[in-house]
Amino acid sequence: MNDRLSFYRKRNSPVHALNPFTKLILVSALIFYGLTAKGFWTATLMVAFVLLPLALASKLLKEYVGVALKVILPTAGFMFVMQSVFIPGGTTEIFRLGFISVELETVQRSYLIASRIFLFISAFVLLLLTTHPSELMSDLTRRGLPPQFAYVIISTLQIIPQMQAKAQTIIAAQRSRGLDTESSFFKRAGLLVPLVGPLVFGSLVEVEERAIAIEARGFTSTRTKTFLHDIPDTPADKFIRWTLTLFIIISLAARLWLS
Amino acid sequence: MNIEISDLHFTYPSGVQALRGISLTIEAGEQVGIVGQNGAGKTTLVRHLNGLLHPTAGEVKIGDWDTRKYSVAKLAARVGYVFQNPDDQLFSRDVRTEVAFGPKNLGYPKEQVEALVSEALEMTELADKTEANPYDLSPTWRKMVAIASVIAMDTPIVIFDEPTTGQDAASVARIANVIRVLRERGKTVITITHDIDFCAENFERVIAMSQGRILLDGKANDVLGQEEILAATYVDPPQLARLGRRLGFKETVRNEEEFLAALKNMSA
Ligand SMILES: Nc1ncnc2c1ncn2[C@@H]1O[C@H](COP(=O)(O)OP(=O)(O)O)[C@@H](O)[C@H]1O
Ligand SMILES: [Mg+2]
Repeated sequence: MNDRLSFYRKRNSPVHALNPFTKLILVSALIFYGLTAKGFWTATLMVAFVLLPLALASKLLKEYVGVALKVILPTAGFMFVMQSVFIPGGTTEIFRLGFISVELETVQRSYLIASRIFLFISAFVLLLLTTHPSELMSDLTRRGLPPQFAYVIISTLQIIPQMQAKAQTIIAAQRSRGLDTESSFFKRAGLLVPLVGPLVFGSLVEVEERAIAIEARGFTSTRTKTFLHDIPDTPADKFIRWTLTLFIIISLAARLWLS
Repeated sequence: MNIEISDLHFTYPSGVQALRGISLTIEAGEQVGIVGQNGAGKTTLVRHLNGLLHPTAGEVKIGDWDTRKYSVAKLAARVGYVFQNPDDQLFSRDVRTEVAFGPKNLGYPKEQVEALVSEALEMTELADKTEANPYDLSPTWRKMVAIASVIAMDTPIVIFDEPTTGQDAASVARIANVIRVLRERGKTVITITHDIDFCAENFERVIAMSQGRILLDGKANDVLGQEEILAATYVDPPQLARLGRRLGFKETVRNEEEFLAALKNMSA
Protein backbone atom coordinates (compact mmCIF):
# COMPACT_ATOMS: atom_id res chain seq x y z
CA MET A 1 0.00 0.00 0.00
CA ASN A 2 2.55 2.49 1.16
CA ASP A 3 4.58 2.05 -1.99
CA ARG A 4 1.71 3.25 -4.10
CA LEU A 5 1.39 6.36 -1.98
CA SER A 6 4.79 7.91 -2.58
CA PHE A 7 7.21 8.33 -5.46
CA TYR A 8 9.67 6.01 -3.75
CA ARG A 9 10.63 2.87 -5.68
CA LYS A 10 12.48 0.24 -3.72
CA ARG A 11 15.56 -1.19 -5.45
CA ASN A 12 18.77 -2.78 -4.36
CA SER A 13 21.22 -0.19 -5.66
CA PRO A 14 24.21 1.85 -4.51
CA VAL A 15 22.21 5.07 -4.92
CA HIS A 16 19.45 3.78 -2.65
CA ALA A 17 22.09 2.79 -0.11
CA LEU A 18 23.49 6.31 0.19
CA ASN A 19 22.57 8.30 3.26
CA PRO A 20 19.54 10.53 2.52
CA PHE A 21 21.45 13.65 3.56
CA THR A 22 24.21 12.80 1.09
CA LYS A 23 21.66 12.59 -1.69
CA LEU A 24 20.13 15.87 -0.62
CA ILE A 25 23.54 17.56 -0.74
CA LEU A 26 24.19 15.99 -4.13
CA VAL A 27 20.92 17.29 -5.51
CA SER A 28 21.51 20.73 -4.02
CA ALA A 29 25.00 20.87 -5.47
CA LEU A 30 23.74 19.87 -8.91
CA ILE A 31 20.99 22.43 -8.82
CA PHE A 32 23.19 25.19 -7.44
CA TYR A 33 25.87 24.62 -10.03
CA GLY A 34 23.43 24.11 -12.88
CA LEU A 35 21.56 27.33 -12.12
CA THR A 36 24.53 29.58 -11.52
CA ALA A 37 26.94 28.36 -14.19
CA LYS A 38 26.90 30.57 -17.26
CA GLY A 39 27.46 27.95 -19.96
CA PHE A 40 24.60 27.39 -22.36
CA TRP A 41 24.94 23.61 -22.21
CA THR A 42 25.78 23.23 -18.50
CA ALA A 43 22.33 22.05 -17.39
CA THR A 44 22.01 19.70 -20.35
CA LEU A 45 25.43 18.20 -19.74
CA MET A 46 24.70 17.69 -16.08
CA VAL A 47 21.52 15.83 -16.89
CA ALA A 48 23.29 13.71 -19.48
CA PHE A 49 26.45 12.93 -17.52
CA VAL A 50 25.31 12.97 -13.91
CA LEU A 51 21.58 12.39 -13.53
CA LEU A 52 21.08 9.82 -16.27
CA PRO A 53 23.98 7.62 -15.09
CA LEU A 54 22.70 7.92 -11.52
CA ALA A 55 19.22 6.88 -12.64
CA LEU A 56 20.78 3.95 -14.46
CA ALA A 57 22.79 2.99 -11.38
CA SER A 58 19.67 3.08 -9.22
CA LYS A 59 17.88 0.75 -11.71
CA LEU A 60 15.19 3.36 -12.27
CA LEU A 61 16.06 4.69 -15.71
CA LYS A 62 12.60 3.97 -17.11
CA GLU A 63 10.77 5.62 -14.20
CA TYR A 64 13.12 8.60 -14.24
CA VAL A 65 12.75 9.21 -17.97
CA GLY A 66 8.99 8.71 -17.72
CA VAL A 67 8.47 11.29 -15.00
CA ALA A 68 11.05 13.61 -16.52
CA LEU A 69 9.38 13.64 -19.93
CA LYS A 70 6.00 14.36 -18.39
CA VAL A 71 7.57 17.43 -16.80
CA ILE A 72 9.79 18.70 -19.57
CA LEU A 73 7.54 18.61 -22.61
CA PRO A 74 4.85 20.94 -21.27
CA THR A 75 7.47 23.14 -19.60
CA ALA A 76 9.49 23.58 -22.76
CA GLY A 77 6.37 24.28 -24.81
CA PHE A 78 5.13 26.82 -22.29
CA MET A 79 8.51 28.55 -22.09
CA PHE A 80 8.71 28.82 -25.82
CA VAL A 81 5.27 30.36 -26.17
CA MET A 82 5.87 32.82 -23.32
CA GLN A 83 9.23 33.84 -24.69
CA SER A 84 7.87 34.27 -28.22
CA VAL A 85 4.93 36.35 -27.11
CA PHE A 86 6.47 38.55 -24.44
CA ILE A 87 10.11 38.92 -25.37
CA PRO A 88 10.25 39.21 -29.15
CA GLY A 89 13.06 41.01 -30.87
CA GLY A 90 15.43 38.35 -32.10
CA THR A 91 17.18 38.94 -35.35
CA THR A 92 17.85 35.51 -36.80
CA GLU A 93 14.61 34.19 -38.18
CA ILE A 94 14.60 30.40 -38.62
CA PHE A 95 11.22 30.09 -40.25
CA ARG A 96 7.87 31.79 -40.36
CA LEU A 97 4.55 30.28 -39.31
CA GLY A 98 1.80 32.54 -40.58
CA PHE A 99 2.27 35.83 -38.73
CA ILE A 100 4.55 34.29 -36.10
CA SER A 101 8.22 34.38 -36.88
CA VAL A 102 10.33 31.86 -35.05
CA GLU A 103 13.69 33.29 -34.12
CA LEU A 104 16.88 31.57 -33.12
CA GLU A 105 17.30 33.75 -30.03
CA THR A 106 13.87 32.82 -28.71
CA VAL A 107 14.50 29.15 -29.22
CA GLN A 108 17.84 29.42 -27.44
CA ARG A 109 16.44 31.36 -24.53
CA SER A 110 13.55 28.95 -24.04
CA TYR A 111 15.91 26.01 -24.27
CA LEU A 112 18.20 27.48 -21.64
CA ILE A 113 15.37 28.08 -19.18
CA ALA A 114 13.65 24.79 -19.89
CA SER A 115 16.87 22.82 -19.47
CA ARG A 116 17.50 24.50 -16.12
CA ILE A 117 13.99 23.79 -14.89
CA PHE A 118 14.42 20.27 -16.10
CA LEU A 119 17.65 19.86 -14.17
CA PHE A 120 16.01 21.28 -11.06
CA ILE A 121 12.92 19.11 -11.15
CA SER A 122 14.46 15.91 -12.38
CA ALA A 123 17.20 16.05 -9.73
CA PHE A 124 14.46 16.15 -7.10
CA VAL A 125 12.55 13.40 -8.85
CA LEU A 126 15.60 11.17 -8.63
CA LEU A 127 15.98 11.99 -4.95
CA LEU A 128 12.35 11.10 -4.28
CA LEU A 129 12.50 7.93 -6.37
CA THR A 130 15.49 6.59 -4.47
CA THR A 131 14.80 7.88 -0.95
CA HIS A 132 11.89 6.97 1.24
CA PRO A 133 10.46 10.30 2.43
CA SER A 134 10.26 9.23 6.06
CA GLU A 135 13.88 8.13 5.97
CA LEU A 136 14.94 11.48 4.60
CA MET A 137 13.02 13.35 7.27
CA SER A 138 14.14 11.05 10.04
CA ASP A 139 17.72 11.67 9.07
CA LEU A 140 17.27 15.44 8.82
CA THR A 141 15.47 15.59 12.16
CA ARG A 142 18.36 13.73 13.74
CA ARG A 143 20.65 16.36 12.28
CA GLY A 144 18.66 19.08 13.95
CA LEU A 145 15.78 19.95 11.65
CA PRO A 146 12.74 20.91 13.76
CA PRO A 147 10.21 18.04 13.65
CA GLN A 148 7.37 20.42 12.81
CA PHE A 149 9.23 21.45 9.69
CA ALA A 150 9.94 17.82 8.81
CA TYR A 151 6.28 17.03 9.26
CA VAL A 152 5.17 19.78 6.89
CA ILE A 153 7.58 18.58 4.22
CA ILE A 154 6.82 14.92 4.55
CA SER A 155 3.07 15.37 4.54
CA THR A 156 3.37 17.56 1.45
CA LEU A 157 5.39 14.87 -0.29
CA GLN A 158 2.81 12.27 0.60
CA ILE A 159 -0.25 14.30 -0.07
CA ILE A 160 0.03 14.36 -3.85
CA PRO A 161 -0.04 10.59 -4.40
CA GLN A 162 -2.60 10.26 -1.61
CA MET A 163 -4.90 12.80 -3.22
CA GLN A 164 -4.42 11.02 -6.53
CA ALA A 165 -5.44 7.69 -5.04
CA LYS A 166 -8.41 9.27 -3.32
CA ALA A 167 -9.49 11.11 -6.46
CA GLN A 168 -9.40 7.84 -8.36
CA THR A 169 -11.62 6.14 -5.78
CA ILE A 170 -14.07 9.05 -5.90
CA ILE A 171 -14.23 8.96 -9.69
CA ALA A 172 -14.83 5.20 -9.53
CA ALA A 173 -17.58 5.64 -6.93
CA GLN A 174 -19.40 8.30 -8.97
CA ARG A 175 -19.08 6.41 -12.23
CA SER A 176 -20.66 3.47 -10.40
CA ARG A 177 -23.60 5.78 -9.72
CA GLY A 178 -24.03 6.35 -13.41
CA LEU A 179 -21.96 9.51 -13.76
CA ASP A 180 -20.77 9.62 -17.34
CA THR A 181 -17.21 10.94 -17.20
CA GLU A 182 -16.68 10.32 -20.88
CA SER A 183 -19.31 12.85 -21.91
CA SER A 184 -18.84 16.17 -23.66
CA PHE A 185 -16.94 19.13 -22.29
CA PHE A 186 -20.02 21.04 -21.18
CA LYS A 187 -21.30 18.18 -19.13
CA ARG A 188 -17.81 17.82 -17.70
CA ALA A 189 -18.01 21.21 -16.02
CA GLY A 190 -20.99 19.87 -14.09
CA LEU A 191 -18.92 16.87 -13.02
CA LEU A 192 -16.70 18.98 -10.84
CA VAL A 193 -18.95 19.10 -7.78
CA PRO A 194 -19.39 15.33 -7.33
CA LEU A 195 -15.66 14.82 -7.77
CA VAL A 196 -14.14 17.76 -5.89
CA GLY A 197 -16.70 17.83 -3.07
CA PRO A 198 -15.74 14.52 -1.45
CA LEU A 199 -12.04 15.27 -2.05
CA VAL A 200 -12.18 18.51 -0.08
CA PHE A 201 -14.42 17.19 2.71
CA GLY A 202 -12.32 14.07 3.01
CA SER A 203 -9.10 16.06 3.26
CA LEU A 204 -10.52 18.26 6.01
CA VAL A 205 -11.55 15.23 8.02
CA GLU A 206 -8.13 13.72 7.42
CA VAL A 207 -6.27 16.79 8.65
CA GLU A 208 -8.10 16.66 11.95
CA GLU A 209 -7.46 12.94 12.34
CA ARG A 210 -3.79 13.37 11.58
CA ALA A 211 -3.46 16.16 14.11
CA ILE A 212 -5.03 14.02 16.81
CA ALA A 213 -2.95 10.99 15.84
CA ILE A 214 0.42 12.74 16.00
CA GLU A 215 -0.52 14.55 19.18
CA ALA A 216 -1.43 11.22 20.77
CA ARG A 217 2.08 10.04 19.97
CA GLY A 218 3.67 12.91 21.82
CA PHE A 219 4.62 14.99 18.81
CA THR A 220 4.88 18.20 20.79
CA SER A 221 6.73 16.63 23.70
CA THR A 222 9.86 18.59 24.52
CA ARG A 223 11.89 15.61 25.71
CA THR A 224 14.81 14.43 23.62
CA LYS A 225 13.45 11.94 21.12
CA THR A 226 14.92 8.63 20.13
CA PHE A 227 14.73 7.11 16.66
CA LEU A 228 13.20 3.79 15.72
CA HIS A 229 15.26 3.19 12.59
CA ASP A 230 18.96 3.44 12.31
CA ILE A 231 19.87 5.18 9.07
CA PRO A 232 23.40 4.26 8.03
CA ASP A 233 25.87 7.08 7.42
CA THR A 234 29.14 5.63 6.10
CA PRO A 235 32.57 7.25 5.75
CA ALA A 236 31.94 7.18 1.99
CA ASP A 237 28.85 9.33 2.56
CA LYS A 238 30.85 11.84 4.54
CA PHE A 239 33.56 11.87 1.90
CA ILE A 240 31.05 12.53 -0.89
CA ARG A 241 29.40 15.33 1.09
CA TRP A 242 32.68 17.08 1.84
CA THR A 243 33.85 16.75 -1.73
CA LEU A 244 30.64 18.24 -3.06
CA THR A 245 30.69 21.09 -0.57
CA LEU A 246 34.30 21.84 -1.39
CA PHE A 247 33.52 21.71 -5.09
CA ILE A 248 30.74 24.24 -4.71
CA ILE A 249 32.88 26.57 -2.63
CA ILE A 250 35.75 26.41 -5.10
CA SER A 251 33.53 27.00 -8.11
CA LEU A 252 31.89 29.91 -6.37
CA ALA A 253 35.26 31.38 -5.38
CA ALA A 254 36.56 30.90 -8.91
CA ARG A 255 33.62 32.74 -10.33
CA LEU A 256 33.98 35.66 -7.93
CA TRP A 257 37.72 35.76 -8.53
CA LEU A 258 37.51 35.71 -12.28
CA SER A 259 34.71 38.19 -12.70
CA MET B 1 -30.04 -11.21 -14.65
CA ASN B 2 -27.22 -13.77 -14.30
CA ILE B 3 -23.58 -13.02 -13.65
CA GLU B 4 -21.16 -15.17 -15.59
CA ILE B 5 -17.45 -15.04 -14.82
CA SER B 6 -15.15 -17.32 -16.75
CA ASP B 7 -11.47 -17.89 -16.02
CA LEU B 8 -10.96 -14.33 -14.88
CA HIS B 9 -7.39 -13.18 -14.34
CA PHE B 10 -6.41 -9.69 -13.31
CA THR B 11 -3.02 -8.09 -12.80
CA TYR B 12 -2.69 -4.49 -11.55
CA PRO B 13 -0.32 -2.20 -13.50
CA SER B 14 2.02 -2.41 -10.50
CA GLY B 15 2.42 -6.12 -11.26
CA VAL B 16 0.29 -7.53 -8.42
CA GLN B 17 -1.60 -10.61 -9.63
CA ALA B 18 -4.83 -9.96 -7.77
CA LEU B 19 -7.03 -12.58 -9.47
CA ARG B 20 -5.71 -15.91 -10.75
CA GLY B 21 -8.44 -17.76 -12.57
CA ILE B 22 -11.93 -17.19 -11.17
CA SER B 23 -14.94 -18.96 -12.67
CA LEU B 24 -18.29 -18.28 -11.15
CA THR B 25 -21.97 -18.13 -11.99
CA ILE B 26 -24.40 -16.17 -9.87
CA GLU B 27 -28.06 -16.59 -10.73
CA ALA B 28 -30.61 -13.80 -10.64
CA GLY B 29 -31.94 -13.30 -7.11
CA GLU B 30 -29.10 -15.08 -5.29
CA GLN B 31 -27.69 -13.69 -2.03
CA VAL B 32 -23.96 -14.24 -1.90
CA GLY B 33 -21.47 -13.45 0.86
CA ILE B 34 -17.76 -13.22 -0.02
CA VAL B 35 -15.23 -13.78 2.77
CA GLY B 36 -11.43 -14.05 2.90
CA GLN B 37 -8.35 -12.43 4.35
CA ASN B 38 -7.26 -8.88 3.48
CA GLY B 39 -5.75 -8.75 0.01
CA ALA B 40 -7.49 -11.94 -1.13
CA GLY B 41 -8.86 -10.09 -4.15
CA LYS B 42 -12.48 -9.63 -3.08
CA THR B 43 -12.71 -5.94 -3.96
CA THR B 44 -10.82 -6.52 -7.20
CA LEU B 45 -13.33 -9.22 -8.13
CA VAL B 46 -16.45 -7.13 -7.53
CA ARG B 47 -14.94 -4.14 -9.34
CA HIS B 48 -15.06 -6.29 -12.45
CA LEU B 49 -18.82 -6.64 -12.16
CA ASN B 50 -19.59 -3.02 -13.02
CA GLY B 51 -16.68 -2.54 -15.39
CA LEU B 52 -14.45 -0.44 -13.12
CA LEU B 53 -11.79 -3.02 -13.94
CA HIS B 54 -11.48 -5.05 -17.11
CA PRO B 55 -10.14 -8.62 -17.16
CA THR B 56 -6.48 -9.12 -18.05
CA ALA B 57 -7.68 -12.50 -19.32
CA GLY B 58 -11.05 -14.21 -19.23
CA GLU B 59 -14.52 -12.73 -19.39
CA VAL B 60 -17.20 -11.17 -17.20
CA LYS B 61 -20.81 -11.06 -18.39
CA ILE B 62 -23.71 -9.30 -16.73
CA GLY B 63 -26.79 -10.77 -18.38
CA ASP B 64 -25.94 -10.58 -22.08
CA TRP B 65 -23.43 -7.73 -21.66
CA ASP B 66 -19.69 -8.33 -21.81
CA THR B 67 -18.33 -5.75 -19.34
CA ARG B 68 -15.55 -4.78 -21.73
CA LYS B 69 -18.05 -3.51 -24.28
CA TYR B 70 -20.03 -1.21 -21.96
CA SER B 71 -19.02 1.89 -20.02
CA VAL B 72 -19.25 1.96 -16.23
CA ALA B 73 -22.04 4.55 -16.54
CA LYS B 74 -24.04 2.11 -18.72
CA LEU B 75 -23.35 -0.87 -16.45
CA ALA B 76 -24.54 1.23 -13.50
CA ALA B 77 -28.07 0.54 -14.70
CA ARG B 78 -27.52 -3.16 -14.02
CA VAL B 79 -25.05 -3.23 -11.13
CA GLY B 80 -25.24 -0.96 -8.09
CA TYR B 81 -22.05 -0.78 -6.05
CA VAL B 82 -21.87 0.61 -2.51
CA PHE B 83 -18.26 1.60 -1.83
CA GLN B 84 -16.66 0.85 1.48
CA ASN B 85 -16.14 4.47 2.51
CA PRO B 86 -19.26 6.67 2.17
CA ASP B 87 -17.07 9.79 2.22
CA ASP B 88 -15.78 8.85 -1.22
CA GLN B 89 -19.10 9.62 -2.81
CA LEU B 90 -21.20 12.08 -0.77
CA PHE B 91 -21.20 15.64 -2.08
CA SER B 92 -24.72 17.03 -2.00
CA ARG B 93 -26.11 19.64 0.35
CA ASP B 94 -28.90 17.40 1.58
CA VAL B 95 -29.65 13.72 1.84
CA ARG B 96 -32.51 13.70 -0.63
CA THR B 97 -30.50 15.31 -3.45
CA GLU B 98 -27.66 12.94 -2.75
CA VAL B 99 -29.88 9.88 -3.03
CA ALA B 100 -31.49 11.21 -6.22
CA PHE B 101 -28.12 11.61 -7.97
CA GLY B 102 -27.84 7.98 -9.12
CA PRO B 103 -31.39 7.46 -10.43
CA LYS B 104 -31.19 10.84 -12.22
CA ASN B 105 -27.98 9.77 -13.94
CA LEU B 106 -29.75 6.65 -15.13
CA GLY B 107 -32.32 8.85 -16.84
CA TYR B 108 -35.48 7.64 -15.09
CA PRO B 109 -38.51 9.93 -15.47
CA LYS B 110 -38.98 12.51 -12.70
CA GLU B 111 -41.88 10.81 -10.92
CA GLN B 112 -40.05 7.51 -10.87
CA VAL B 113 -36.94 9.17 -9.41
CA GLU B 114 -39.10 10.68 -6.67
CA ALA B 115 -40.71 7.33 -5.89
CA LEU B 116 -37.41 5.42 -5.89
CA VAL B 117 -35.75 8.00 -3.65
CA SER B 118 -38.60 8.00 -1.13
CA GLU B 119 -38.59 4.24 -1.03
CA ALA B 120 -34.83 4.00 -0.56
CA LEU B 121 -34.95 6.60 2.24
CA GLU B 122 -37.72 4.63 3.93
CA MET B 123 -35.80 1.39 3.67
CA THR B 124 -32.66 2.87 5.20
CA GLU B 125 -34.65 4.66 7.95
CA LEU B 126 -33.51 8.04 6.70
CA ALA B 127 -37.02 9.39 6.15
CA ASP B 128 -36.65 11.91 9.00
CA LYS B 129 -33.21 13.10 7.83
CA THR B 130 -33.91 14.01 4.20
CA GLU B 131 -33.09 17.71 4.71
CA ALA B 132 -29.88 17.12 6.66
CA ASN B 133 -26.46 17.75 5.15
CA PRO B 134 -24.83 14.32 4.86
CA TYR B 135 -21.67 15.68 6.49
CA ASP B 136 -23.62 16.70 9.58
CA LEU B 137 -24.69 13.09 10.10
CA SER B 138 -22.67 10.54 12.07
CA PRO B 139 -20.52 8.09 10.10
CA THR B 140 -23.07 5.30 10.62
CA TRP B 141 -25.82 7.43 9.09
CA ARG B 142 -23.55 8.59 6.28
CA LYS B 143 -23.15 4.90 5.50
CA MET B 144 -26.93 4.59 5.27
CA VAL B 145 -27.03 7.58 2.89
CA ALA B 146 -24.47 5.88 0.67
CA ILE B 147 -26.50 2.67 0.73
CA ALA B 148 -29.75 4.53 -0.03
CA SER B 149 -28.11 6.37 -2.91
CA VAL B 150 -27.27 3.07 -4.59
CA ILE B 151 -30.51 1.27 -3.75
CA ALA B 152 -32.50 4.13 -5.28
CA MET B 153 -30.93 3.23 -8.62
CA ASP B 154 -33.13 0.11 -8.57
CA THR B 155 -30.53 -2.14 -10.21
CA PRO B 156 -31.14 -5.89 -10.47
CA ILE B 157 -27.73 -6.50 -8.89
CA VAL B 158 -26.45 -4.75 -5.74
CA ILE B 159 -22.92 -5.05 -4.37
CA PHE B 160 -21.87 -4.09 -0.83
CA ASP B 161 -18.16 -3.83 -0.04
CA GLU B 162 -17.69 -4.42 3.69
CA PRO B 163 -20.92 -2.68 4.71
CA THR B 164 -20.74 -3.52 8.43
CA THR B 165 -17.13 -2.49 9.08
CA GLY B 166 -17.12 0.19 11.78
CA GLN B 167 -20.91 0.11 12.24
CA ASP B 168 -22.70 -0.23 15.56
CA ALA B 169 -25.24 -2.99 16.29
CA ALA B 170 -28.24 -0.84 15.32
CA SER B 171 -26.65 0.03 12.00
CA VAL B 172 -25.73 -3.61 11.30
CA ALA B 173 -29.37 -4.54 11.93
CA ARG B 174 -30.52 -1.83 9.50
CA ILE B 175 -28.15 -3.12 6.84
CA ALA B 176 -29.36 -6.70 7.38
CA ASN B 177 -32.91 -5.42 6.97
CA VAL B 178 -32.03 -3.67 3.69
CA ILE B 179 -30.55 -6.93 2.40
CA ARG B 180 -33.68 -8.83 3.43
CA VAL B 181 -35.95 -6.40 1.56
CA LEU B 182 -33.73 -6.62 -1.53
CA ARG B 183 -33.98 -10.42 -1.38
CA GLU B 184 -37.78 -10.22 -1.21
CA ARG B 185 -37.72 -8.04 -4.31
CA GLY B 186 -35.74 -10.65 -6.18
CA LYS B 187 -32.51 -8.63 -6.38
CA THR B 188 -29.12 -10.27 -6.57
CA VAL B 189 -27.03 -9.18 -3.59
CA ILE B 190 -23.29 -9.70 -3.37
CA THR B 191 -21.65 -8.68 -0.11
CA ILE B 192 -18.01 -8.67 0.89
CA THR B 193 -17.70 -8.98 4.63
CA HIS B 194 -15.30 -9.76 7.46
CA ASP B 195 -18.17 -10.13 9.88
CA ILE B 196 -18.65 -13.88 9.74
CA ASP B 197 -21.72 -13.90 11.99
CA PHE B 198 -23.34 -11.30 9.74
CA CYS B 199 -22.43 -13.44 6.76
CA ALA B 200 -23.86 -16.61 8.33
CA GLU B 201 -27.13 -14.96 9.22
CA ASN B 202 -27.82 -13.17 5.95
CA PHE B 203 -26.50 -15.20 3.04
CA GLU B 204 -27.54 -18.54 1.59
CA ARG B 205 -24.42 -18.90 -0.48
CA VAL B 206 -20.89 -18.13 0.68
CA ILE B 207 -17.69 -17.83 -1.33
CA ALA B 208 -14.31 -17.94 0.44
CA MET B 209 -11.38 -16.40 -1.41
CA SER B 210 -7.66 -16.61 -0.84
CA GLN B 211 -4.79 -15.21 -2.89
CA GLY B 212 -6.83 -14.43 -5.97
CA ARG B 213 -8.58 -17.79 -6.10
CA ILE B 214 -11.85 -19.25 -4.90
CA LEU B 215 -11.21 -21.58 -1.99
CA LEU B 216 -14.78 -22.64 -1.26
CA ASP B 217 -18.13 -21.90 -2.87
CA GLY B 218 -21.43 -23.37 -1.80
CA LYS B 219 -24.27 -23.37 0.70
CA ALA B 220 -23.48 -21.23 3.72
CA ASN B 221 -23.73 -24.17 6.12
CA ASP B 222 -21.32 -26.29 4.09
CA VAL B 223 -18.76 -23.55 3.52
CA LEU B 224 -18.81 -22.16 7.04
CA GLY B 225 -18.34 -25.67 8.45
CA GLN B 226 -14.99 -26.20 6.72
CA GLU B 227 -12.94 -25.01 9.63
CA GLU B 228 -9.56 -26.24 8.37
CA ILE B 229 -9.88 -24.82 4.86
CA LEU B 230 -11.26 -21.50 6.12
CA ALA B 231 -8.27 -21.20 8.44
CA ALA B 232 -6.08 -20.90 5.31
CA THR B 233 -7.74 -17.54 4.59
CA TYR B 234 -7.94 -16.49 8.25
CA VAL B 235 -11.68 -16.92 8.57
CA ASP B 236 -13.16 -18.47 11.72
CA PRO B 237 -16.54 -20.23 11.44
CA PRO B 238 -19.33 -18.31 13.19
CA GLN B 239 -19.53 -18.60 16.97
CA LEU B 240 -22.71 -20.68 16.94
CA ALA B 241 -21.20 -23.11 14.43
CA ARG B 242 -18.13 -23.56 16.63
CA LEU B 243 -20.22 -23.98 19.73
CA GLY B 244 -22.45 -26.50 17.92
CA ARG B 245 -19.41 -28.44 16.84
CA ARG B 246 -18.13 -28.68 20.40
CA LEU B 247 -21.54 -29.82 21.52
CA GLY B 248 -21.22 -32.63 18.99
CA PHE B 249 -23.84 -31.50 16.42
CA LYS B 250 -23.61 -33.42 13.15
CA GLU B 251 -24.53 -30.49 10.92
CA THR B 252 -23.07 -27.00 10.88
CA VAL B 253 -25.53 -24.51 12.31
CA ARG B 254 -25.38 -20.83 11.46
CA ASN B 255 -28.23 -19.09 13.26
CA GLU B 256 -30.20 -19.32 16.46
CA GLU B 257 -33.10 -21.29 14.96
CA GLU B 258 -30.82 -23.95 13.52
CA PHE B 259 -28.88 -24.09 16.76
CA LEU B 260 -32.00 -24.60 18.87
CA ALA B 261 -33.38 -27.18 16.47
CA ALA B 262 -30.15 -29.16 16.57
CA LEU B 263 -30.05 -28.92 20.35
CA LYS B 264 -33.60 -30.27 20.62
CA ASN B 265 -32.70 -33.05 18.21
CA MET B 266 -29.79 -34.07 20.39
CA SER B 267 -31.70 -34.18 23.63
CA ALA B 268 -34.61 -36.04 22.02
N1 LIG C 1 -5.13 -0.03 -7.11
C1 LIG C 1 -4.28 -1.04 -6.86
N2 LIG C 1 -3.05 -1.06 -7.41
C2 LIG C 1 -2.20 -2.09 -7.17
N3 LIG C 1 -2.47 -3.13 -6.40
C3 LIG C 1 -3.68 -3.18 -5.81
C4 LIG C 1 -4.64 -2.14 -5.99
N4 LIG C 1 -5.76 -2.45 -5.29
C5 LIG C 1 -5.49 -3.63 -4.69
N5 LIG C 1 -4.25 -4.07 -4.99
C6 LIG C 1 -3.62 -5.34 -4.55
O1 LIG C 1 -4.37 -6.42 -5.08
C7 LIG C 1 -4.55 -7.44 -4.11
C8 LIG C 1 -6.01 -7.69 -3.85
O2 LIG C 1 -6.57 -6.54 -3.25
P1 LIG C 1 -8.12 -6.38 -2.92
O3 LIG C 1 -8.91 -6.83 -4.08
O4 LIG C 1 -8.33 -4.98 -2.45
O5 LIG C 1 -8.29 -7.40 -1.71
P2 LIG C 1 -9.46 -7.53 -0.63
O6 LIG C 1 -10.59 -6.65 -1.04
O7 LIG C 1 -9.79 -8.98 -0.64
O8 LIG C 1 -8.86 -7.11 0.69
C9 LIG C 1 -3.77 -6.98 -2.88
O9 LIG C 1 -2.50 -7.58 -2.93
C10 LIG C 1 -3.68 -5.50 -3.05
O10 LIG C 1 -2.50 -5.00 -2.45
MG1 LIG D 1 -11.48 -4.97 -0.06
